[in-house]
Amino acid sequence: MRTRRARRASRIAKRIASHAVLILACLFAVFPIYFIAVTSFSTIPIAGITASILVPKPSELTLSSYDFVLFHYYPSFVSLLTNSLIFAGSAAAIGLLLAAFTGYALSKFNFPGRRTFVYFILLISLFPSFLLILPLYFTFKDLGLIDTYLGLIIPYSAGAVVFSGILVKNYMDSIPDDIEEAALIDGLGRTEAFFRVLLPLCYPILGLAAFLAFIGPYTDYAMANVFITSNNLWTLALGLYHLNSTDTGVQPYGLVTAFAIVMSLPIVVAYMVFQRYIIGGLTLGSVRG
Amino acid sequence: MTGIRLEHITKRFKTETAVDDVSVEIADGEFVVILGASGSGKSTLLRIIAGLEVQTDGHVYIGDMLVDDYEPRDRNIAMVFQSYALYPHLSAYDNIAFGLRVRRVPREDDPEKLRRRTREEIDQKVRAAAELLGITETLRKRPAELSGGQRQRVALARAIVRDPEAFLLDEPLSNLDAKIRSSARIELRRLHQQLKQTFVFVTHDQSEAMTLSDRLAVLNHGRLLQCDTPERILSHPANQYVASFVGSPEMVFLEGAVQATAGGSTFVHGPVRVPVRGAGKAGPVTLGVRPWDIHVQRTPAEGLLSARVTGIERLGSSDQLFLNILPGPTAAPGAGAGTGAAPAPVAVRALVRAYDFNVGDSVFVTADPDRALFFSADGTLLESMSLSSRLP
Repeated sequence: MRTRRARRASRIAKRIASHAVLILACLFAVFPIYFIAVTSFSTIPIAGITASILVPKPSELTLSSYDFVLFHYYPSFVSLLTNSLIFAGSAAAIGLLLAAFTGYALSKFNFPGRRTFVYFILLISLFPSFLLILPLYFTFKDLGLIDTYLGLIIPYSAGAVVFSGILVKNYMDSIPDDIEEAALIDGLGRTEAFFRVLLPLCYPILGLAAFLAFIGPYTDYAMANVFITSNNLWTLALGLYHLNSTDTGVQPYGLVTAFAIVMSLPIVVAYMVFQRYIIGGLTLGSVRG
Repeated sequence: MTGIRLEHITKRFKTETAVDDVSVEIADGEFVVILGASGSGKSTLLRIIAGLEVQTDGHVYIGDMLVDDYEPRDRNIAMVFQSYALYPHLSAYDNIAFGLRVRRVPREDDPEKLRRRTREEIDQKVRAAAELLGITETLRKRPAELSGGQRQRVALARAIVRDPEAFLLDEPLSNLDAKIRSSARIELRRLHQQLKQTFVFVTHDQSEAMTLSDRLAVLNHGRLLQCDTPERILSHPANQYVASFVGSPEMVFLEGAVQATAGGSTFVHGPVRVPVRGAGKAGPVTLGVRPWDIHVQRTPAEGLLSARVTGIERLGSSDQLFLNILPGPTAAPGAGAGTGAAPAPVAVRALVRAYDFNVGDSVFVTADPDRALFFSADGTLLESMSLSSRLP
């Protein structure tokens, strides 16, 4: 009896301990979001933060920061959002299409230097993209691509190809050649077999790749800041930065946090749309290494 | 409905030769099995017929058409893969219908022009094929929800529904449970009789090959060793490899030598001394006997060799006896005795239907003289040579 009770006690203790750790980790993750949310509704335009802001009285809550960010900021929030969606959307679309071809070629075609090429791509992805900004800037300046949509879409898409190409390749490696060959015998050419059989089988990984290819450009500041000068091409990240640096005398915490909240909504929506693929894709990635 | 002709097909991958100068003619409506161990090049040969692999040398004809430069889709053949290769994202129905939806057919009013099949035409064909294979109930399911046997049937249905020139099957039964496999064999055979189309079936399982084939092509190291009816391959294997690969339980081989004796020639292998006919000159030869052509009895008789039962393997319908042939009464006191020491016992196997033998029993054996074969030192069948029924 005693041992059984002791075993049970230790089991409960273990459970309490593990839950405590999880709750703590959860707090670490959730607190910043909560803090940003609370700040965005706060009326206190102060530089110094006091603990009182964490538990606001209902009377102190206001939507005025949102009102400014959405309706009184220049360039308008809609214009910033549109630009961001154009950049991130085209990068995701173009990058994904190219990544699908890249992954297909690397997975299903046997050409000399294939392995070297794969390692080369992996090596490239180890370098931070900041390194590219300066050389790209001068190249693009000569090409007249600075301060144009194309000037950002090209490097964004290229980044997506490098990363997603490998993802798609690894996934396609797991699809047996037999299936493609069955399609060839059923009456398709290689191109048709790719679009009608292989690509549909890759939807899970393409969903993940699309999401990642979207997030990168959507949140990018460094490259956009260098390549975009006129404010009608500003992205959300640039808008956020300039909001922070506008000379209002005080640090506009409420405005910045409100902006951040609104800016994150499309990502949340995208995540919910692609959730199934993202979780599936990530686990696949972890299994396949 | 068309035959297939392979002329001097050779396929080299970098350094190794997978298929080495293979020529076969497969008649219209024939069921040919390509049999070989793994790595014998049998699958490569099938893939060359399908157009999935391009041969280094030689020509492939389907019907009278030279198809060397044809894409797989233009050869109008169907293939069933070992893995079945069903499209995982499509239902069984859509898997079967896929080829029909993709391919266009000549228009009735203007045969020069092509049109897509109508939904009704496709539905009718898919349902007919499904009914033939008894998978009507499972058409809505995805491959992942199907059992191995059902997947195999869907793969077959996908092949049948297209009404191809020929069927190529790459070990389609090897992923099935032993029990389903034998019924699938019978079904495949029945299907072939109904469709009356050309089947080329690849397998490493010799009993599968024996039951299914009209003709059997035995491949080893990319070379075609023999292509003949299963009966002929059993009774007249071209060489020792074919003899050992085909037939179960495996043939018994005794490596010995032909010696010239007073009454003619004698095959000598330890205590085994048997008279032979048609031997050329004295020298090393191998005697091959099927276990079912070795007869075992308890009572001694003239010409029988004495042996002891060392093991029994129960095969169900019969028993395989493991025997040691002993230096016994029938060993002629001629040349062999002169060497002094008694020769070591020789291990052979015999297939018997009587179940009353026990390990340790003393028995007497003989081989069917008309069925025993002789192979030369390099393994080729010595057609003219046979056991003599003459007593030693």
